[in-house]
Amino acid sequence: MAEAKSSRNKLYAAGVVSFLAIISILYYISAPVYLYIVAYMWFGFLYGVLQQYGRFCFASAWRDLIMVKVPRMFVGIMVGMMTLSIIAVFIFVYYPERYHTTQLGLHGLIGGILFGLGMVLAGGCATGSLYKTGEGNMVSLVVLLSLSFSQAIFAVTFFDSIFEKFIQKLPSFSMTELLFGKPAGIPDGVQYKVKYGDYSFWQHMVADAGVNAILIALILLIGVYIIVVRKGFLSRRKDAITAQAGASADGGEARMGFKDELAGFWSMISSSKRTSIAAVLIGIVAAAQVFGLGWMAKHYDFNNFGNVLVGQPASGGPPPSSWPQGKTYPNDVAVRSGNTVFDPGYWYITTQEAMFGAWTMKTAGLDSHPADNKPGYLEDNHYFGDYNGIPRPWFSPAMLLSIGLILGASFKSLLAREFKWKFPTSELFIYAVIGGTLMGVGARIALGCNIGAFYAPAAFGDPSAWVFFVGMGLGAYLSAKFINWVTNRRMADMDFDIEL
Amino acid sequence: MKFEKKDDGSYELDVRGYVCPHPQVYTLKSLEKMKEGMILEVLIDNPSSVESITQACNGKGYAILGQNSPKAGVTAIKIQK
Repeated sequence: MAEAKSSRNKLYAAGVVSFLAIISILYYISAPVYLYIVAYMWFGFLYGVLQQYGRFCFASAWRDLIMVKVPRMFVGIMVGMMTLSIIAVFIFVYYPERYHTTQLGLHGLIGGILFGLGMVLAGGCATGSLYKTGEGNMVSLVVLLSLSFSQAIFAVTFFDSIFEKFIQKLPSFSMTELLFGKPAGIPDGVQYKVKYGDYSFWQHMVADAGVNAILIALILLIGVYIIVVRKGFLSRRKDAITAQAGASADGGEARMGFKDELAGFWSMISSSKRTSIAAVLIGIVAAAQVFGLGWMAKHYDFNNFGNVLVGQPASGGPPPSSWPQGKTYPNDVAVRSGNTVFDPGYWYITTQEAMFGAWTMKTAGLDSHPADNKPGYLEDNHYFGDYNGIPRPWFSPAMLLSIGLILGASFKSLLAREFKWKFPTSELFIYAVIGGTLMGVGARIALGCNIGAFYAPAAFGDPSAWVFFVGMGLGAYLSAKFINWVTNRRMADMDFDIEL
Repeated sequence: MKFEKKDDGSYELDVRGYVCPHPQVYTLKSLEKMKEGMILEVLIDNPSSVESITQACNGKGYAILGQNSPKAGVTAIKIQK
């Protein structure tokens, strides 16, 4: 029976990959340029496989550290981010146009707090909810839907005024710019938009990777070791050494030294082999994605996938033969910004879910379509109208990444016999809706989520990432306290028939 | 969530259906109520919680006596305090 189930799971897993392969072929037949968004899908697939294998979820990083004193995921995220940071410096040499920083300010902290509050209630961060949906967890699907619609509604209602009043004029800069100052030759008082190429490879390696990613991550890991791990590890090690060697000549216990501290630190780093392996591989895949998509965009002659949707190559000529011929989708792009769609070129979550929410609302007719061809309220705002557009999901590059992520997790969990349909109770449904909504609003205020506002920018040298990270931790702490209180109350009401 | 004593004197905690962080929190709080030497078997269908529980138990010095999968998607972990 178990063997039959195992074979069935393998068949389903093969079905998932076959489905994606068929989709890929259909896209290619339609127009070879669509391989660009197919690439997004397969990178998403890899993220899904690795996340499911490594149980990779940012909610767990803060939450398990606070609630059960397990630093596994915290360590994993730092390791992955450090790996990505080193490789990214090489990649941006080739694709400097893909590098950018975002505004640094209180909005990052506030958005991070809301996001942290939400992710612990929801049982997973934005990317964690995607991979858990792939495992058959429908609680996570409720989280994703809440995340999608809360973002879309927030983006068309409050986001514009918050962005214009509090965020738009804030400074944005890289760690390289912070450490090395304005590029040489720029006179004082002159407004100058710094470019990636204004600094050398080694300046970026030292500042963006060395300081912004590695140094800060190491300080945090040492802090976690000292606060959470050290006491228990040294106590167990001391007992083991004392028991092995017998009492020392002076009758005391074995003394712990720097070597023992290093052993303790290393034991924390290596405590979960699968998380460590997944973390490093995710960092490598994330770097490969930046490189691969950057190459493809240049190869197919566009700067943003929106150019393809409206048939306008970067070189200015007619669409090449690899582009769809005679088919354009002008209603899908952000017209006000020059026909772009959300196309980050790297790992990103939440914005594509917001676009999905908006597209669903638009398709359901919940948008005004004035006869004079002006945009409806869904597009008449910064978020969709100026930056991201509302493309149909099958032409939304990052949306395909999310779909690939879900299916990658399905594939891996089927092979590991971990796939199980799980439907929410009323309690978990409420947590999922509230958690997803808080994450959605928090992500929009912070201009990104655990990936877009922390993981990627931290690795790429953007100090604003750490503001969001601190906020996430504060929010997670508050939610953890709440869940702890609820759990204690529930267990106090239960009959724990333990013979003591 | 169900917590009950089994015929062999050990205890069983069934947290199937729950998502993070509930399985790991219920598990550790149940273990806190138990005496040293007592055995708790936990039934979970949330893979990420399994990882957190085994790590938390290692940190507290609880022994993981065994871990198996009685059916697809379900993990049973036997822990001795």
